[in-house]
Amino acid sequence: MCGIIAYAGYKECQPILLESLKRLEYRGYDSCGIAVRVESRKSRRGRINPTPTIEVYKDVGRVGDLAKSFPQIQGLKGGGRGTPVDGQDARPTRLQTPGSGLGIAHTRWATHGEVSKSNAHPHLDCSGRIAVVHNGVIENFQSLRDELTREGHHFSSETDTEVIPHLIERYYDGDLEGAVTRALADVRGTYAIIVLAAGHKKLVAARRESPLIIGIGDRENFVASDVAAVLDYTDRVIYLEDGDIALVSEGSISITSRESGRGTPDSRLQTLDYRPVQREEQVIPWSLEEAQKGGYEHFMLKEIHEQPKAIENTLSGHISLIERTVSLNVRKEAGLEDIVLVACGTSSHAALIAEYVIGKLCHLPVRVKVASEFNCHEMALEKTWVWGISQSGETLDTLRAIKKARTLGCATLAITNVPGSSITRIAEQVFYTRAGPEIGVAATKTFLTQLVALYLLAFSFASPDIMNAEGLIEGLRLLPSRVRQVLDGAEGIIPHARHLSRYDNAFFIGRGLNYPVAMEGALKLKEISYIHAEAYAAGELKHGPFALLGPSTPVVAMATRDDTYEPMLTSIKEIKARGSQVIALAEEGDEDIEQFVDAVIRIPPIDPLFSPFLNSVALQLLAYYAAKERGCPIDLPANLAKSVTVP
Amino acid sequence: MERITQAIILAAGEGQRLKPFTRLLPKVMLPIAGNPILQYVVEALAQNGIRRIVMVVGYRKEQVQDYFSSGQGFGVEINYVVQPQQLGTAHALRQARELADDRFLLVAGDNIIDPGSIRPLVNARSNTMLIRTQEDVSKYGVVMVQDGLVREVIEKPLEKISNQVNTGIYAFNREVFDFLDDEVKLTSVIQRMIAQGCDILALETGGTWLDAVYPWDILKLNNLILSRISPSLGGTIEDGAVIKGAVSIGDGTIIRSNCYIVGPAVIGDDCEIGPSVCIFPSTSVGNGAVISPFSIVRNTIVGNNVLIGPSSSIQDSIIAPGTIIGSHFAARSGEAAMMIEGEYHQVKMGAIIGSYSQIGDSATAQPGVIIGNHCRIKAMKVISENIPDGGLVV
Repeated sequence: MCGIIAYAGYKECQPILLESLKRLEYRGYDSCGIAVRVESRKSRRGRINPTPTIEVYKDVGRVGDLAKSFPQIQGLKGGGRGTPVDGQDARPTRLQTPGSGLGIAHTRWATHGEVSKSNAHPHLDCSGRIAVVHNGVIENFQSLRDELTREGHHFSSETDTEVIPHLIERYYDGDLEGAVTRALADVRGTYAIIVLAAGHKKLVAARRESPLIIGIGDRENFVASDVAAVLDYTDRVIYLEDGDIALVSEGSISITSRESGRGTPDSRLQTLDYRPVQREEQVIPWSLEEAQKGGYEHFMLKEIHEQPKAIENTLSGHISLIERTVSLNVRKEAGLEDIVLVACGTSSHAALIAEYVIGKLCHLPVRVKVASEFNCHEMALEKTWVWGISQSGETLDTLRAIKKARTLGCATLAITNVPGSSITRIAEQVFYTRAGPEIGVAATKTFLTQLVALYLLAFSFASPDIMNAEGLIEGLRLLPSRVRQVLDGAEGIIPHARHLSRYDNAFFIGRGLNYPVAMEGALKLKEISYIHAEAYAAGELKHGPFALLGPSTPVVAMATRDDTYEPMLTSIKEIKARGSQVIALAEEGDEDIEQFVDAVIRIPPIDPLFSPFLNSVALQLLAYYAAKERGCPIDLPANLAKSVTVP
Repeated sequence: MERITQAIILAAGEGQRLKPFTRLLPKVMLPIAGNPILQYVVEALAQNGIRRIVMVVGYRKEQVQDYFSSGQGFGVEINYVVQPQQLGTAHALRQARELADDRFLLVAGDNIIDPGSIRPLVNARSNTMLIRTQEDVSKYGVVMVQDGLVREVIEKPLEKISNQVNTGIYAFNREVFDFLDDEVKLTSVIQRMIAQGCDILALETGGTWLDAVYPWDILKLNNLILSRISPSLGGTIEDGAVIKGAVSIGDGTIIRSNCYIVGPAVIGDDCEIGPSVCIFPSTSVGNGAVISPFSIVRNTIVGNNVLIGPSSSIQDSIIAPGTIIGSHFAARSGEAAMMIEGEYHQVKMGAIIGSYSQIGDSATAQPGVIIGNHCRIKAMKVISENIPDGGLVV
């Protein structure tokens, strides 16, 4: 999704902003831009203009290209592609004085208005003295835009964002914070904004339902949409909350809020009544090292290989093989009768697998709801426990579902990877997956660790007779080494991936526990290799999709040796009769399978309850190498964003 | 002249004689006292102010890159170059040509070296070879030295012509690349340099230098590294556990009641030990391992995620990651004739067990047996001969 970064400090801000934008590249974007406040400079005629101004550089494309449009940055040759658009100079200007220590930057993932230079952020007011970057969606932008146009404001983009600088201009009388406050009172929708004004040495930042953090440095401070953007410079951050407005300068941070506490009705957001608040500073346990590629060709491959370690981190301190116990800090309140898992995308696949496991081990009714379809009317509210699963903890649909569940009186639990993220403040209890930062857009280690977390939760609520059975805790204990075993065999998967990469369509089929695994495998393949892939419960195939089978549509089948094995063989025979190629994922030592399929990807033997972990890793490798064979941009797939923070 | 600040580490090798471990790991990644051999090399370099490293990787390179990444976590900056086929040391060095400084150190990634041994090399101005005097020279390149210069290097001589051996650690000027030509082995390059009038100084070190060639060398390296550790107790140690000597215990590990642990010993993160387990010197236990009640482990390396059942007795052995051992397993130590790559060696050894194997209850491994990776051994079996990878004993 869009990325925001701003700098206020003693250093020259352009190189810092560009570097930080690169750290945000993984979120997915189509255009980018930066605005800096320039204290004074020589005009072309050599006169010094003492009034501070704002210069904006923006363009469609990559951050690396944008850097070329800064002739004044040392070591970067002027490419002349981007031009300043501050309305005063038509050509790039070489700064005669050191640049400014105040600036904002943005990577855009288009929602309102096509991908174009004029739609790229930052956006300016009519005077060119107020610049804004924004994440989120302004719902009433059309009416505001009409109103402002009637008042004589001139718009130069199709974006919803542009109404914000014009609204601020409308209210500006020398008090920037006041003008921002009043402007935001007119706005409906979601936002994280940072405002830069030529006449002020402070940035104004505000958020509502879009993430925004402040990074605290020494004589420098940062504002960003994402911790990864500031990790280069600091690990001390403050998470802003909904309704917060922050003033950030080189040496100070002050935050005011118009919310009195959790669960305040939305209507209060329209008031102008702000009070100073203290927000707790947090130290991020991630190192920049973790957010670097470290010799790997792609982040995705690095993260696939990090999975054994990530699983160890998730398990750490929670299991005892000798006692056969799982100990978590999550309490199940008495009287809860059913569980609803809400999630989006890959997280919802983890939820679907957990649905089987919880159902099997805990004898509790459990359902999965895609977060955007979450609807509380259908359930017994006070007795329902809602678990929200979001890697980033900022997925808007999941956040909204958890908020709604709370207002309806449900108990809530968040399962997330990011300490301090929004979901941790909305849900009553939190369980961290401890996967570390994930940069590749395609979720890998965060998916596996979510699954570990959900298994741990299921085990912790299982009855003692189930936990006393052989193998459950042992299965968890062995997971890191069994996943490593799949990785050790990665080379064996490459030929199958090469084969798959020649097709334009593929089916993934599974049964039971491994049906959601097939869904995740299909999602991975289409996300990064652009091969159209669909997942079906194997039994469903003959109720329609059979029409699409044939020599040009290979099928990837999960042939795990559990009680679904025999029916799966039947499905495979039916498919073979239609001439499709079948690649099976089957246990080492399963020789029977070979007579029914065209190729076998071998999976180390494991208790079938844990087979989703190993099958998923094999499918990640299959997707990765297929995408690589097709020359796809694996870490930055077209049109996708890492965490989806818009509705 | 400024001191040398760059090192090229040869870390591409497979380690044929260290099977079954090196089927899954490159030799440099063999864990010794909880860390791969290569980490001790990197640390020794960093202690001498050499913080820029070019790592020549090849065989199972992902594991090296996975662990060391950009080097930041180890206080160094690592660039990787790939040697696609492991032809030899000179061929490996050639891969690093583009990234080499005017003067650099060349070290093997699979030798444990004393940081003090490297110190004089850092100030070397001309091409220098680090040599060492020792009793057993049979498996090394023996060096003939005259007037402080290397005259000749003879690989594994049959007669004992000198007791000075080549440690494989050098300081080189960039000119060495002009002599590489198509040579595969570095010692041939050295001969060529000498023949063409290019001086190579011989610098003697008395410091530690240990090479991992055979499986029992791994236990020697383990002893050496453990003898240097300082005690640090993480995790949870229950009342009634006795811990003596230098013992290092990782985070998230639980040492249950009645355990008796005598250092030097290293126990990794997230392990479960005991209750009532005895661990004696010099033992290394990897991360996520479980040692069940009433077991005794002595002078042994237990890999990551190894599960050892109750009442087992294991001595002078190496158990690779991910292996599961049932109850009442015995790995006896004793004199054994071990056959490695066609050569017989008489050593005192317990069992050598590869990764991801499963050993049933009450099995016994005779001294010196090698059990491969992915083996399955049923309960009550006595293993008296080597089991190849994937072998079944029913």
